[in-house]
Amino acid sequence: MRVGVYFCLCGPNIAEKIDSEAVRQAAERLPGFGYCRTVEFLCSAAGKSAMEKDVRENRPDRVVVAACSPRDHEETFRGVLARAGMNPFLMQMVNVREHIAWVTADREKATEKAIRHIGAAMRRVVLHEPLERREIDVCTDVLIVGAGPAGLKAALNFAEAGRKVCLVEKEPVLGGLPARYEAMFPDMECGPCVLETVLGDVLHGPHAERIEILTLSSMEDVVGYYGNYTVTIRQSPRYISPDLCIACGECIPVCPAVSGNPFNYDRNDKKAVDYAFQGGLPNLPFIDAEICLRTTRNEDCRLCREACLVEGAVVYEDSGKKVTRQVGAILIATGAGLYDCSRLPNLGYGRLPDVFTSLEFERILAANGPTGGAIRKADGNPPKRIAIVHCVGSLDARHKEYCSGICCETAFKFNRLVAHKLPGAEVTHFYKTFSVSGKRGYKLFGEAGARASTRFVRYDDIDRLDIRSDGSGGHHVVLNAPTAAPSVTESDMVVLCPALVPSEGTARMARMLEAATDRFGFLEELHGRMDSVRSKVRGIYMAGTCQAPMDTQKAVEQGLAASGAILAGLVPGRKLVIEPVTAVVDQERCSACRSCIPVCPYKAISFDSGKDSAVVNSVLCVGCGTCVSTCPSGAIKGNHFTDEQVFAEIEGVLS
Amino acid sequence: MCNWCSYAGADKAGTAQLRVPHNLSAIRVMCTGRVDPQFVLKAFREGADGVVILGCHLGDCHYKEQNYRALQRHRILLAMLRQLGIEEERCRLDFVSAAEGEGFARLVTGMVEAIKTLGPLDLPVHSHGLDQKI
Ligand SMILES: Cc1cc2nc3c(=O)[nH]c(=O)nc-3n(C[C@H](O)[C@H](O)[C@H](O)COP(=O)(O)OP(=O)(O)OC[C@H]3O[C@@H](n4cnc5c(N)ncnc54)[C@H](O)[C@@H]3O)c2cc1C
Ligand code: FES
Repeated sequence: MRVGVYFCLCGPNIAEKIDSEAVRQAAERLPGFGYCRTVEFLCSAAGKSAMEKDVRENRPDRVVVAACSPRDHEETFRGVLARAGMNPFLMQMVNVREHIAWVTADREKATEKAIRHIGAAMRRVVLHEPLERREIDVCTDVLIVGAGPAGLKAALNFAEAGRKVCLVEKEPVLGGLPARYEAMFPDMECGPCVLETVLGDVLHGPHAERIEILTLSSMEDVVGYYGNYTVTIRQSPRYISPDLCIACGECIPVCPAVSGNPFNYDRNDKKAVDYAFQGGLPNLPFIDAEICLRTTRNEDCRLCREACLVEGAVVYEDSGKKVTRQVGAILIATGAGLYDCSRLPNLGYGRLPDVFTSLEFERILAANGPTGGAIRKADGNPPKRIAIVHCVGSLDARHKEYCSGICCETAFKFNRLVAHKLPGAEVTHFYKTFSVSGKRGYKLFGEAGARASTRFVRYDDIDRLDIRSDGSGGHHVVLNAPTAAPSVTESDMVVLCPALVPSEGTARMARMLEAATDRFGFLEELHGRMDSVRSKVRGIYMAGTCQAPMDTQKAVEQGLAASGAILAGLVPGRKLVIEPVTAVVDQERCSACRSCIPVCPYKAISFDSGKDSAVVNSVLCVGCGTCVSTCPSGAIKGNHFTDEQVFAEIEGVLS
Repeated sequence: MCNWCSYAGADKAGTAQLRVPHNLSAIRVMCTGRVDPQFVLKAFREGADGVVILGCHLGDCHYKEQNYRALQRHRILLAMLRQLGIEEERCRLDFVSAAEGEGFARLVTGMVEAIKTLGPLDLPVHSHGLDQKI
C-alpha cells in the first residue's frame, strides 16, 4: 500500500516552526511510504488543483494531509480527493499547525512531534476503508400536530411553498388557545381576528387545497424515520358532514341532551349537537358522543336529523376513520396548558366561588363565552373589586422555577378589559415580579399603572397569600407578612395567573415520537440557542408553547422557523445524503443484549427480532460512537473511528 | 479528545499561540462517549505516562449527554487502574469548551507537570497485554 503525504507549509506558519525536510526524510523510512509533497499553501486554489492533479497522476492508495486543523479543512481535502477520483475517506489529516507549530517553542521538538504524528496518521490511514455517502429518496410532505397559531402558520408556509400538509387537531375547532380570547396583548385585537389572518388562508386561501385538515383527530402510530414516515391518524366521528352542513344551526335548539361545555370550562351548558363556541372555525357543529342520547343511552333520538334543512348532513352512521399518511417530517405544535392551581390550596381555587384561572377568565371576558362577555359573580352581580394574582406556581422551586413570560401581560390585558367592562371596578395585582419585556411589553403595564382603580401589592412567597371567604359571598385576600400585621384586601373575584406547563398532548407526542423532554416536560431542543425548533430526533420538529412558554408572536415565529428548516432539508427532487461515518452492527457477533439501544440519544438503534440482532438506522445515526464503546461483544463498528484505527494512531503517536 | 468543544478548545490554544507540552498528543474521536477504556489501557501499554480524556462541559456534549457516560466509565476505569498499580493522577477526565484555549493549555501543562513529579510509569510486566483481555 502506498501512502501519499502532503505537507503544507502554510506560508511561514508551519515552515518556520518545523523542518519539513527532516519530516520528509523521516516519513520516507516509514512502512507504506509512497511519496511526500511539500506545498506552500495546500488550501489555496492553486494548492488544491495541484494536489488534485498529483493524486490523479500518482494514484496513491491512501493520503495523509499534514496541515491545519481537520475542523478547518478536512472537508476541503476530502473534496479534492473526490474530484481526483479517490474515495474521500481514505485520507487522514494531521493537525500540524494548531497542535504543533503554533504551540511548541522549540523547532527541534516541534519537528520530532510532527514526525510522530505523521507516522501515526500513516499507520491509521492504511486501515481506512472506502466509505460511500448514500442517497435515499424522501417524501417532502409534512405532518403537523396541533392547529394553534404555531401549527397553522407552519401549515400555511408549507402550502405556499407548494408542499402537501396534513394538519391534525384533536379538537373540533382550529386556532388553539387564542381562538378563545376576547383580546390579545399587546394590541388588544380580538383573538379570532388575529387568527383570521392565517386561518382564513388555511381554510380558503389560494393554497388551501394542499392542506388537509383533520379535526377531532389524533396520531395513533408512527413508523419510519426522517424522510420516510408512515403515520396512522384516528379521526373520531363528527356525525355532521362538513361537505353538506350549511351551519344554519337548526339542529341545536331541538336537541334534548345538555351538559357542561368544556370549551368554557363548564361555565355554561352546551347541547349534544352544538358548536364548541360561536365563531369557532371550521364553522360546523358537531355531535358530542359523550352527551348524545343515541350513544350514552342507546336511544333512537332523531330530532336533529329531522330538524336539519339539508338531506344527509347529519350522519348518525359516521364511525370516524383511520387514515395513514406518508410524510418526510413531523412538526409538533401541541401547545401548553396551565399549572394546576389546586396544588396551592391556600388560594382557594376549586373551593371558593369566583376564583378563576386566567383561561377561565378569558372565557368570561369573551363575547362568545358563557356569559356573552359580561363579568358576573356566582350570585349574578358584577364584581366591584377584582384581585389578580400573578406568578402562581412560577419562580418557585416547589412548583415551577421558571417565569412563563406571558402572565404579566395577560394580567394587564385583563386590567384593561375590566376597566372597559366595569368602569370604576378596583383591580389589585398581587405580584412577585413583573416581566413585561420587548418593545411592546410595557404598553398595557403602563396603562394599568396610570389607572386610579389599579393597585399593586407585592408578595415574595405565595404561601404567605391566603384567600378566604369573607362570609358574605366575597373574599379576603390576606397577605401575611413575617414581621408586620397581615394586610387584607377585599375582593369579589379572584383571577389566578398560573405558569404555563406542557399540555397532555405534548407529553403524549414526546412519548410516541421518542422525542426527549426537558425536566419541565417541554420538548427538548437540539440546541437551546441555535436550533430551538429541531428536536434531538432527526425529522421531528417543534414549534410554539410545546417547546417553552412564549407569547403568540414567538409561537408563530417558531412555526415559520420550523417550516423553514423542514423546507430546507426536504426538497423535491433532491435525495437525502446519508453520511457514512455511522455505527454498523455485525449481526453475527451481536449477542442480543440490547445494551446499545438505550445509550443512543437519537433513537437510531432498534432490535430486529427476526435477525436476533440490533440494527442501526444510518439515517438517524450521527456517528458519536457511544454505542460502539458500549457494546460488550465488540459487535458494533464505528465507521472511520474503528478500534483498530484508533489503536494504530495511539501506537503511532507513542512510538 | 472529542471533535467538538475540546478539540476546538485545543485549536484555540493554537490560534492564540499558547504553549502546549510537546509530549502531549491528541487523539481525536467524535465524542468522549466513543472513548473505550481500552483506548486508555492501550495508551499506557504503548508507553504513555498519563492519559487525559477531554470532552465538552457537562450539558454541552454535541451528542447530548455522552460525556456523563464517559464520566461513569472513567470512574470504573480508575478503579481498574488502581488494581494495576497505575496512580489515579495519570488518568484524568476533564472538560474544555471551544472558547477555553487558555484553560486547555493550563490544564494539560498542569497535568504534564503533575506526571513529571510522579515519574515515568513503570508498568508491571504481568499487566502487559491486559488491555487485550478486556
Ligand atoms: C390566559 C392566557 C392568555 C394569553 N394571552 C395572550 C395574548 O393576549 N397575547 C399573546 O400573544 N399570547 C397570549 N397567550 C399565550 C398564547 O396562548 C400562546 O403563545 C399560544 O397559544 C401558543 O400557540 P401554540 O400554537 O404553540 O399552542 P396552542 O395555542 O396551545 O395550540 C395547540 C393546539 O394543539 C392542539 N393539540 C394539543 N395536543 C394535541 C394532540 N395530541 N393531537 C392533536 N392536537 C393537539 C390543541 O388542541 C391546540 O389546538 C396567553 C396565554 C394564556 C394562558
Ligand atoms: S461531543 Fe464533546 S463530549 Fe460529546
